[in-house]
Amino acid sequence: MEIAKFIPWLPLLAAILSGICCMKRSLRDYASWIVLAAVAASFGLSLMAGSHITPESGAVTVHFFEWIHAGNFKADFSYYFDTLTIIMLYVVTGIGSLVVWYAGGYMAGDKGYARFFFAVGLFIFSMTSLVMGDNLLMLFLGWEGVGLCSYLLIGYYYEKPSAVAAGKKAFIVNRIGDLGFALGIFLTFKEFGSIQYAEIFSQTAHLNTESATTGMKIIPYLLMLGAFGKSAQIPLYVWLPDAMEGPTPVSALIHAATMVTAGVYMIARMMPVFLLSEHALTAVATVGATTALFAGLIALCQYDIKRVWAYSTVSQLGYMFLGVGVASSVGGVFHLFTHAFFKALLFLTAGSVMHAMTGQLDMRNMGGLRKKMPVTCWLMFIGCLALAGFPLTAGFFSKDLILGDAMAKGITDHNGWIQILAWSGIFTAFMTAYYTFRLWFRVFCGPEHYVMGDDHHGDDDHGHGDDHGHAHGSHDDHHHHAPHEMPFARMNLPLCFLAVGAIAGGFLCHHWMESMVNASSASTVNTAVEHVATAVEHATDHAGEVAVNAHADTGGEGHHASLFGMDVHKAVMIISIIAALAGIALAAYFHLLRRELADKAKQTYAGVCDLLENKFWIDELYDTAIVRPLKLMGDLFFVFDRLVINGIVALVGFIPRLLGITVRHSQTGVLQGYGLGMILGLACILLMVTWMLSSGF
Amino acid sequence: MELPFALLLFLVLIPLLSGLLLPLLAGNDPEKIKTFTLGITVINFFMSLLLLVGYDFSNSAEYGLVFNTEWFSSLGLTFSFGVDSISIWLILLTTFLMPIVILGSYSAVTERVREFYIWLLLLEAAMIGVFVSTNVIFFYICFEFTLIPMYFLIGIYGSSDRLKAARVFFLYTFTGSMLTFAGIIYMAWCNVAAGGMWDFSFAALSTAHQNMSDSQQLWVMLAMLAGFAVKVPIFPVHTWLPLAHTEAPTSGSVVLAGVLLKLGTYALIRIAIPMLPKAALAVAPMMGVAAIIGIVYAALICWRQKDIKKLVAYSSVSHLGFCVLGMFAINVQGLSGSVMYMINHGLSTGALFLLIGMVYERYHTREMAQLNGLAKVMPIWASFMVFFAMASVGLPGLNGFVGEFLTLLGSFNSILMGPVYAAIAGTGLIFGAIYILYMVGKVVWGPLKLPDGHDDHASGGAPGGHHVTDLNRREIAVLIPLAVACLWLGLYPNCMLKTLDAPSQAIVDRVGIEGHEQPIRPMLHHVQNTLQTHPAQLTVLDDTPSTDIATAQLPGVHQ
Repeated sequence: MEIAKFIPWLPLLAAILSGICCMKRSLRDYASWIVLAAVAASFGLSLMAGSHITPESGAVTVHFFEWIHAGNFKADFSYYFDTLTIIMLYVVTGIGSLVVWYAGGYMAGDKGYARFFFAVGLFIFSMTSLVMGDNLLMLFLGWEGVGLCSYLLIGYYYEKPSAVAAGKKAFIVNRIGDLGFALGIFLTFKEFGSIQYAEIFSQTAHLNTESATTGMKIIPYLLMLGAFGKSAQIPLYVWLPDAMEGPTPVSALIHAATMVTAGVYMIARMMPVFLLSEHALTAVATVGATTALFAGLIALCQYDIKRVWAYSTVSQLGYMFLGVGVASSVGGVFHLFTHAFFKALLFLTAGSVMHAMTGQLDMRNMGGLRKKMPVTCWLMFIGCLALAGFPLTAGFFSKDLILGDAMAKGITDHNGWIQILAWSGIFTAFMTAYYTFRLWFRVFCGPEHYVMGDDHHGDDDHGHGDDHGHAHGSHDDHHHHAPHEMPFARMNLPLCFLAVGAIAGGFLCHHWMESMVNASSASTVNTAVEHVATAVEHATDHAGEVAVNAHADTGGEGHHASLFGMDVHKAVMIISIIAALAGIALAAYFHLLRRELADKAKQTYAGVCDLLENKFWIDELYDTAIVRPLKLMGDLFFVFDRLVINGIVALVGFIPRLLGITVRHSQTGVLQGYGLGMILGLACILLMVTWMLSSGF
Repeated sequence: MELPFALLLFLVLIPLLSGLLLPLLAGNDPEKIKTFTLGITVINFFMSLLLLVGYDFSNSAEYGLVFNTEWFSSLGLTFSFGVDSISIWLILLTTFLMPIVILGSYSAVTERVREFYIWLLLLEAAMIGVFVSTNVIFFYICFEFTLIPMYFLIGIYGSSDRLKAARVFFLYTFTGSMLTFAGIIYMAWCNVAAGGMWDFSFAALSTAHQNMSDSQQLWVMLAMLAGFAVKVPIFPVHTWLPLAHTEAPTSGSVVLAGVLLKLGTYALIRIAIPMLPKAALAVAPMMGVAAIIGIVYAALICWRQKDIKKLVAYSSVSHLGFCVLGMFAINVQGLSGSVMYMINHGLSTGALFLLIGMVYERYHTREMAQLNGLAKVMPIWASFMVFFAMASVGLPGLNGFVGEFLTLLGSFNSILMGPVYAAIAGTGLIFGAIYILYMVGKVVWGPLKLPDGHDDHASGGAPGGHHVTDLNRREIAVLIPLAVACLWLGLYPNCMLKTLDAPSQAIVDRVGIEGHEQPIRPMLHHVQNTLQTHPAQLTVLDDTPSTDIATAQLPGVHQ
């Protein structure tokens, strides 16, 4: 187990080596192999750690070295391994390895090849530190570290102003959430006297909503701000769609599979503290469901394929928040797990399309690519099925678990609001299926047509011709003529693994996931808290039954909620299967069979489409309401500083000058100026001393 | 390891004597002078490293290596030296930065070379003198003496508006310090009035508050702040700083940001707070407010700057706000964080000034409108820039974060401040990111744009005009130690923090904040009332036993 503490440090070492590779052109191509080896080794170590950490074994803390000790405050580089950590490590290092593998081919020939892998290595270091840390400050270290890597990678094509602006936006919007997170850490320290998980959980085990202090109840609200920033939830989601300026493997790894799920991880990890507050989780669920709906709506009308997936990611993250928000950590984390597979797959296949079309991303400029890129086409199809929640795919299991748990909680608690959220989630599922297949039908089906991107170097394309940029042989030669399939071993093979996960990840990992998450702090402590105990027991008992052939053991247990006269999970499952199929059918009708109808509908509802295409003008709203006033304030302060504050000083400074005018004739040079200063100064002291003496101090 | 107490003496004397004797020792050959000065400062650095390694930190609340000798004993003047862990770290910062500054100025200073290095060496001696002194008069002499070398460094080697900047810098800080001096003498006099001797040692002055009434303490505190707050600088007496920083040569800016500003915060933490405990408690909330205004106000101003150097200069005002906030929280986290912040700010801001200087040497401009996308032509420079920008913005894992986090944590948990203070100061995290990324986004990233006459040869164009290259070996050698220090203190700050616990705790104990929440509030109202209405009435109020303040004794006795 001791050796597991090197999981983050191997990628860091690889990042440093990649940094060295940046310096020499001949070394540049080794960077991807170095990072791939390190991430894969970390995955190996994670598997090894996973064999030690079972649901029965409990948590293990591995101390590495001291970090910050001040008075009674203590935060160390030490790692906390429980089942939740293990799941997250599998996702981060496992998906990470596959994406790095793919990226090695995708980024081939790019000038910043080594720089890219430096940032990816650093990212894996930060992300694994984030999930492994045994205290909130280590979580924060990883949290900010992934933010930096995200900034560097979004702005990877740094000569493009939009990429630079997007990177900046991501970092700053995240910082807003991070302020809440930091305040949450301060308050945790104040209330619990420690920021170590083990210490906090040992205290929360004896607390419930009645005995918790007000401060403890505020902590979750502060922490969730950070989670909303990192995981792109309302109102801080605006950075994620813009983050698509980064190279596509980055979008897949950081902005879909791993980093953005950090918020979900944080809430799942701090679940015992969230449970101390009556309404904190409801707030999380509300924000989650609202974001899911809102981002789903925006995704309906986007034409940029990466942006569709970006809004879809925001929407799916909303599901995860809905999951943890109804105290169903299993649902939230399970969806995190499956989503990592299928969303990484979707992004990477979108990247392949983009790669093949030299930077073209607008789906209006492509169609019928099925024949040109058959492998990519079917890989993306698998991803689309999973995202749409098609029965038996990975996304189906996890999404239904969330929706079922939400509905069950709403019904058992007689909480109408939660039920509304659950219904809204089901409606979102319908939209998801629609926009997912809208994209797939548009890109791969129908008559073949394509307009190649003109963006040769600057955009998400490899700068071939630079040096030995012929990554996949002769393909580059007809780069501008037609789209082509990607090389198999270097790019499509890792996608196949993801596709297997997107299909089988659901039913294979289902029970494992349930037992793992329930064994972690995210759920075990729940039993100490009365008001959620039912929901948790419910989730625990029934998570398994959502499986297709679930034979509900409804017998003697009285806590089962029912909906439409049947077990709630079963009912929700059936409804969402219908929703998914209806969405796919609708997409097929509008975008495969009768495309002209879609255009007609668009004209009829031009206003709505305009609103959605422009993303509800939220960016513009933020700009007017927040950014500009702040800039104005900065300008005002600057003027104030120069005129008023400096003016007062100048005025005060003018008095000695007035005095000086009278003695000017005797003072001619710089040195004499000192003399004057000293004499005046001494006179001042003398005056003050005499004054103090005489005033009877 | 037993260290000779004379080590401290050597630390001051070596740069002092070699500065004074530089013409004799190194002649007039610029190369020889540079090598000689570099050698001296490196020797001094290793000696202070010896101090760090050999010092016994087990009793770090007390002064170690104490050395006293008579000077004017009848006036209470002695040469007394000594260090504790706070001063050791600041000495190390000084001796660490000096060789870097000197190596960094190799190509920047081409005229009046000898004089330049003489001033730098004298400046180093004076700065170390401040940190080793345990007698307030010697402390003050060194404190003020730093102005003279700095005046000449700005006035001779600065940019276009250097004379004005030097004059404002000198007069502004000097005027404030005169009041401080008066306050110091008055404190000593309070001891004399109570039947003691004239004695200006720290030990004697730290008991002076027992002979002072509350309002006396308060007035002396205000006098101290007049000098120290200007030096830090704390809002609203910061306006000299952007001017001085912008006009100073790179070396001057680095020393100014790196060490000279820390003289102010060091003086606050060493003299003002522990020696005037009740006044410190009384002014703490107001100092917190001033610090917070400084943080937010300066950060927003930074964002609207067009000159890179001015931006970094204003950022110092914002950063030092955290430092002041932490120390006036008066708890262990705040004070340790504050000391840590002093060191960190010296490293990261110093590095930023060096980086800006390197660009200035190449392009002779600091206008962001004229310098865009330098990553393309100067990738090594750009990497360092991003690194130090991140250190400055407080990225965990780099040094800046530790101080920022601890000062905020301290203010959050301080009974003198509280969560609201920390929340508003915490917006500095956001604004800090905004202005730093604004600067990085313009200068480092984006499409390449250079001032006229500099061709973009890196993109394949034929070289023409001035040939501009990326950093050379010397410049990289200047930046590497700073980067290593930033990384080291970010990942293993505990090597410093564990030595700071004891002195921080000692200050907290002296001020007596624990469990004495009551006396603070009435005293605060008293301060506010008197300041608002009639300052002259203070003495009257004081003599009247009916006011609650006059009867309030030391916190411990009060309960």
